[in-house]
Amino acid sequence: MEADELLLLVAGGDQMAFEELYGLVAGPVFGLVRRVVRDPAQSEEVSQEVLLETWRSAARFDPRRGSALSWILTLAHRRAVDRVRSARAAGEREQREARRAHHPAFDQVTEEVEAGLEREWVRRCLERLTELQRQSVTLAYYDGYTYREVAERLSLPLGTVKTRMRDGLTRLRECLGGAA
Amino acid sequence: MSLFRREDLHSLAAPYALDALEPAERARFERHLKDCASCAADVRALSEDAVRLAWSAAAPPPSAMRDRVLAAVRTIPQESAVRPEPARARPEPVRARKSQLPPHVWGAQPPPRQRQRRPLFVPFATATAAAALVVASLFAVQANRTQDELDAQKAQASEIAHVLQAVDARATRGQDAQGRTIGVIASASEGRAVVTLSGYNAPPSGRVRQLWLMRPGEQPRSLGLFAADTPLVASGLDKSATSLAVTVEPDGGSPQPTTQPVVQLALKSVGFGE
Repeated sequence: MEADELLLLVAGGDQMAFEELYGLVAGPVFGLVRRVVRDPAQSEEVSQEVLLETWRSAARFDPRRGSALSWILTLAHRRAVDRVRSARAAGEREQREARRAHHPAFDQVTEEVEAGLEREWVRRCLERLTELQRQSVTLAYYDGYTYREVAERLSLPLGTVKTRMRDGLTRLRECLGGAA
Repeated sequence: MSLFRREDLHSLAAPYALDALEPAERARFERHLKDCASCAADVRALSEDAVRLAWSAAAPPPSAMRDRVLAAVRTIPQESAVRPEPARARPEPVRARKSQLPPHVWGAQPPPRQRQRRPLFVPFATATAAAALVVASLFAVQANRTQDELDAQKAQASEIAHVLQAVDARATRGQDAQGRTIGVIASASEGRAVVTLSGYNAPPSGRVRQLWLMRPGEQPRSLGLFAADTPLVASGLDKSATSLAVTVEPDGGSPQPTTQPVVQLALKSVGFGE
């Protein structure tokens, strides 16, 4: 069954449908959260929260406004970013940076996963962006920085970063268009 | 009053789709979104692009996470409706959501896939984090409580955590054709159980829901009254208990049930009935 259909059943309290949905989304949710949060224990905790929130608030899902997968992954990303920002605010920033020095941002996590066609496409398409587009998008999405922080890190004006983000996402869409 | 011109707000669509706004900015942009149909479409498209980035990060989740999440789901009540906007106090009418939900939720037909219910043999003591999550989630659905109520809930939460951490804690759940559920986490060795109801309408005024312990050859024994939508912690459960039942009784409860149970749940799968 498709995720959309399953999530509608879950909204009706169907635990079996949730189990099936879990099989579809747990990998993407966990992978995304870990990509952003990095720390494995915290990633697991955030992923659990996201999956339970999916169960709890499934009734809020409106299929007219997007797919179930995008609803769940948007939630996962939001929670992961919240976690990483509060960790930074709590002064763990240096620790994280030190850890990251040993784990190059792009390859480390994905290497251990079996190669997926979609991932390959995304990676290729990311490579086709300009350097600034790619960095603007990935620093925000994979590292959880706000666009202000991205601007600071790249020494760019705010307006430029906002534009690079939009252009980056749009080019990604064009590039991925044929891959779906 | 906004310091931002419209085009400035528009330019936040991409950072918004990437979750790259600060909380205040995010809130302001979301307010703007409500009145701007073209922005909503724009954001939707950009968010779908961002989600493609999510897919590329997929990784195998830890296998223990599955057990924990699925066990928790058996006991966590769901939000039954879309939360109304603060501006309009009226909850969203049922028929507005009807089209999004399968017919069985509304009692029009039985649930399509009522497969055999299995207990989950997950010792919660090995999953303290999950227990904490269950407790947190039990209360997360209840907004706008007073401090006294919150304090009472905190005390109750620690009792619940106590049951969850018992070595033999097990969970089970039952659902009727209307989608109403009763969830139980019980420990036979401690004779304690946490019982949650969800999907039930509030009892009529002057009435309460009372929980009963059913044992073979004996009168039902009261385990307490449900207060609004909070879970009930029951203690002193005999090992011989066969099921739990809930009836609607006059305020203050009854010494013996005076009405038919609205729901009944067998306890065999959670270690009782010996």
